[in-house]
Amino acid sequence: MNSIMKKIATGFGVGVLSGLLGVGGGVFMVPIMVGWFGFTQHVAQATSLAMIIPTAFFSSIVYSLHGSVDLKIAMVLAAGSMFSAALGSRVMTRLPAATLKQLFGVMLVVVGIRMVIA
Amino acid sequence: MIELIPIIAIGLFTGFLSGLLGVGGGVVMVPLMSLFLGIEQHLAQGISMLVIIPTSLAAIWQLHKKKLVDYQSAALFAVGAIVGAVLSSNFVQYISGADLKKIFGIFIIYSGTRMILGKKKIKPVEKNA
Repeated sequence: MNSIMKKIATGFGVGVLSGLLGVGGGVFMVPIMVGWFGFTQHVAQATSLAMIIPTAFFSSIVYSLHGSVDLKIAMVLAAGSMFSAALGSRVMTRLPAATLKQLFGVMLVVVGIRMVIA
Repeated sequence: MIELIPIIAIGLFTGFLSGLLGVGGGVVMVPLMSLFLGIEQHLAQGISMLVIIPTSLAAIWQLHKKKLVDYQSAALFAVGAIVGAVLSSNFVQYISGADLKKIFGIFIIYSGTRMILGKKKIKPVEKNA
């Protein structure tokens, strides 16, 4: 029960932050799952993707209601991204946790610099 | 009007990162769309939200087969995140995100650097919960 509340509360905090900052939840969730909840890097990343699906679904509905979605561009983008996402996750399962963590760290630094500069 | 090649290229690039790193890819997709396609920020965010769904589904299939997904935790995190995001997106017009963004940017750089250096304990990036 305690761990259930803790997870909902963590999701809530990250949801508030990502709404405020315009940064997706995965950037915050993966380090939190590893650092606070003791997930391995692989499970944290996989669980992050599973969490993103319903979250993005609700956000898309909100965006669609405001009329700011271009379906044609979205479909062409998705055609490319679905193909390479399957490839990327296959590569991910073959990488050792330490390497994956470093790659994730590089992504964080780039995202962080963008947040500071922009 | 729509240039297919750069759009597909952006899709290929963000999809790979998404599968590799377990993030939605909006962080990469949105700036690339405004840079190479001239799409304005708000529309780019709306498009990226939509693209993230099939992308994550495609990535998760492999991870599901390897039993790496903790669905129960994902559902709990998502419930909290959806409520939190709905609340904050209704208040976001009253709060200036700019300073907050810089502060969290520094936190993220710090925690990313620790991950690169391979320190044992990674400091949590936020304590808002």
